[in-house]
Amino acid sequence: MKTTLPLFRRAFFDTWRSTLAWAAGLAAAAFLYLPLYPSIGGSAQMQDMVNALPAEMTKALNYDQIATGPGYTQATLFGLIGFLLMTIASVAWGAAAVGGDEESGQLELTLAHGVRRVQVVLERALALLLRVLILAGLVFVLVSLLNGPSQLGIEPGNLFGATVLFAGLALLSGTAALCAGTITGRRIHGIFAGAAVGVLGYVFNAVGRQSQDVEWLLDLSPYHWAYSNSPVANGADWAAAGWLWGIAAALVVLAAVALERRDVGA
Amino acid sequence: MAIAISARSLTKNFGRREVLHGIDFAVEAGSVFGVIGPNGAGKTTTMRCLLDIIRPTAGEVRVLGVDPRKGGPELRRRIGYLPGELFLEGRVTGRKLLAHYEAVSGPVPPGRINELADRLGLDLDRHTRKLSKGNKQKLGLLQAFMHQPELLVLDEPTSGLDPLVQQEFHAMVREARHRGQTIFLSSHVLSEVQQTADTVAILRDGHIIAVESVSGLREGAVRRARITAAGIAADDAVALLTGVPGVGQVEVLESDGTVTLSALLEGPIQPLVRVLGSLQLTDLVLEEPDLEDAVLKMYSARPEEGQ
Repeated sequence: MKTTLPLFRRAFFDTWRSTLAWAAGLAAAAFLYLPLYPSIGGSAQMQDMVNALPAEMTKALNYDQIATGPGYTQATLFGLIGFLLMTIASVAWGAAAVGGDEESGQLELTLAHGVRRVQVVLERALALLLRVLILAGLVFVLVSLLNGPSQLGIEPGNLFGATVLFAGLALLSGTAALCAGTITGRRIHGIFAGAAVGVLGYVFNAVGRQSQDVEWLLDLSPYHWAYSNSPVANGADWAAAGWLWGIAAALVVLAAVALERRDVGA
Repeated sequence: MAIAISARSLTKNFGRREVLHGIDFAVEAGSVFGVIGPNGAGKTTTMRCLLDIIRPTAGEVRVLGVDPRKGGPELRRRIGYLPGELFLEGRVTGRKLLAHYEAVSGPVPPGRINELADRLGLDLDRHTRKLSKGNKQKLGLLQAFMHQPELLVLDEPTSGLDPLVQQEFHAMVREARHRGQTIFLSSHVLSEVQQTADTVAILRDGHIIAVESVSGLREGAVRRARITAAGIAADDAVALLTGVPGVGQVEVLESDGTVTLSALLEGPIQPLVRVLGSLQLTDLVLEEPDLEDAVLKMYSARPEEGQ
């Protein structure tokens, strides 16, 4: 009996508990934040309070537009808590996919069977992609459901674009983790690389927005590429989406080439 | 005779450390070939080179007639491999794991997995990470044997198995050999290999220091003999035995009416038996040759050969 994509199936179905747990976390975040908008974000007092905050802080937290429904959703869910959860999940999966598998000694046995190394990397990257898409899809559905009841007033087209960028950001960190883990054969190096992409992207954005002297930091921040024009409010910058997804794809190819060329478990 | 595995000047460096110093060996198709050697001798590295898990620095390897670097999945489907250190941490049952490897490595005859699991006494419905070391090893053996590959490469296959299961494993190896499969296995002790192997290679510090048939090793090994005879003086008995080729270290243990002697015998036993036939023996003990001793001597005696 010949099964199609056996490695993808195993990587995807063996981690369904983890996928479910992250989905529950994202759903909880959406249900906690978004229904609060009418009483917090939308009120005049809130805007007064944000205005009273130091401008640097407002910029760092992306609270500039928090008084509008799309701005509030952008700043809280897509920009902060959702971004955090998605990045952690994607990095954990990416680092475990090949580097973690090699470190635990299990990759050796898999490679001794009838598989190609490139196939191992590609099928496991596909499993990563699908899980990230499921989580991003869930966020899209939940925001759409809460859009009316929570008086967010988000355009569905803009929400879709923002979700594509949201998934792209997570994938970039996850594939960086996959790539570094595959090159070094160590899970922790993958986690480090993935976390660096996510955290530095966020920090460069927060710092780069403070003054013109450090504006160049923004160019190095994937977070800024994705969110600089507040896509939930204004629609996606599709070029930025292309960069995020394109670099993620390139990292997967790099990982496949690296594994093809090195000793495993040595 | 067809050759299942051949290695010529197989060399492997990890950084500046050379682990295999150009080893040569050939394994006949349909035979059982054992590699023994102390830890760190290069057994696992050699096996990983056969599976293309690591790549040789120099030298030539052929597995089932193909270079493992170029054989790809098609070659590895013809090989069953048991890694030396088996890690099965997943939250997955043994049955699902085997189904996965079946999907990857080709068809398994129907009922074969259950039959092997019964023989080894393995519960396939438990999660692999909850299995004991011995049970993980059984699962490892099962995934190597299940699709009846032409070649089995087994790194320390009996480690962690209790004696009964070891016997079952030896039976599985004999059956595989009977079917015409080739078996390449390793151990750090000879006793595990000598029961099943036709040929033994001794690996030490990345050199093969000897390749011998098991029967050849046995002939070269030293046996201890204890002889009790009546109607002969102790001195005469000592003189008689000392004259036999291969006999040494003759000692008198007792001499009161009957004489009891101990001696070491190296080589064939026929000359000794012929001499003993002339005595009035009351007791004779000729021990199993201690192959382990013979091998340990090789470990220490010829370390530099082959450089």
